[in-house]
Amino acid sequence: MTWVIVAAIVVIGSALVLRFRLRSRQESGITNFRRHIDALSPEARREVMKRVRPDDDQEGRGQ
Amino acid sequence: MARDLAIDLGTANTLVYMKGRGIVLNEPSVIALNRQTGEVLATGREAWQMIGRTPGYIVAVRPLRGGAITDFEITERMIRLLLQRVGVSRFTRPKVVICVPSAITEVERRAVTDAARRAGAADAHLIEQPMAAAIGADLPIDEPVGNMVIDIGGGTSETAVISLGGVVALEAVRVGSFDIDAAIQAYVRREHGIGIGERTAEEVKMAIGSAAPTGEERVAQVQGRDMMTGLPKTVDLTSEEIRFAIEDVVGSIIASVTRCLAKAPPELAQDFLNRGMYLVGGGGLLRGLAQRIEAETRVPVKMSNMPLEAVVMGAGHCIEHYDALKSMFMGTRRP
Repeated sequence: MTWVIVAAIVVIGSALVLRFRLRSRQESGITNFRRHIDALSPEARREVMKRVRPDDDQEGRGQ
Repeated sequence: MARDLAIDLGTANTLVYMKGRGIVLNEPSVIALNRQTGEVLATGREAWQMIGRTPGYIVAVRPLRGGAITDFEITERMIRLLLQRVGVSRFTRPKVVICVPSAITEVERRAVTDAARRAGAADAHLIEQPMAAAIGADLPIDEPVGNMVIDIGGGTSETAVISLGGVVALEAVRVGSFDIDAAIQAYVRREHGIGIGERTAEEVKMAIGSAAPTGEERVAQVQGRDMMTGLPKTVDLTSEEIRFAIEDVVGSIIASVTRCLAKAPPELAQDFLNRGMYLVGGGGLLRGLAQRIEAETRVPVKMSNMPLEAVVMGAGHCIEHYDALKSMFMGTRRP
């Protein structure tokens, strides 16, 4: 009987840990993708653009 | 502490962007060597001026052809000298991001990273040229819209559709502005019986070359060596002749653009019609090329503000935001 209880606790515990890890991986995927996209935004790129062409006052993207 | 670097290792020119500083070097990818001792005599602009004008014991070479390293050892020496010129030493080893053609093979990829590491880089990562070009051309690639960029370099021409920070469709050919120069050399030899060097062919292309009639037909006097008599000779070349001479090369570049358009998802097609395609790279400066691509694809073509610097600016942005953008480097997992 004790073995059954211990086994059940181990299985439930493993399932909870697995679920928690999957969720945090999903969340880190979202965070990483957001960070990646934000780093490509015009605001993030402005610094490099200004450094290379300081006279340009950002007329419009791709122009 | 070394400042990290982004390098556009092009067939024609090498540009270096230093983190926090901007573009610190822009020189032709040429190295001059003493044939007998193997010593490096000059690099960059100085070596470029020597092309075709050297005595027997000096050889001025471009170690990259078609975007690929043709001579590993010479490329490594050239990279080492360039890095030294921007302040890299044995004690300051920076992280380096290098722009390479997307069609590069695994062997070529390893050759570039090994050359950079041996030349003094602590770590070397590669980024696809069209992606770097799109970032550097300031296209809104962070948005879910189709951005199309055509990068015509010295040895390769690449067209890519980019949306949400990733490549959606890509087409590359190992044809570029050096092939245009070679076509001019071959035409002048065949039709006028005179031999001209690659620098003269490039000057002719820049003076009177065009991919389509521009309403301004020009004539240039070209001096070379008569193939029959061996004596110097001058001939007149017209814009129309040059258009005829380079037609095959221009045709294959446009065909690759068309193939890329055909690969793109239909949802993005309307974005191209509204937003147009962006032309970057030195080859894109050929007169009439934008109009010719526009006429054949029926998609507006716009020239990037800084066509020669766009690629290194894009790679420079990646080095400035290294942690957030390292997933864009070739061989790493996308987010």
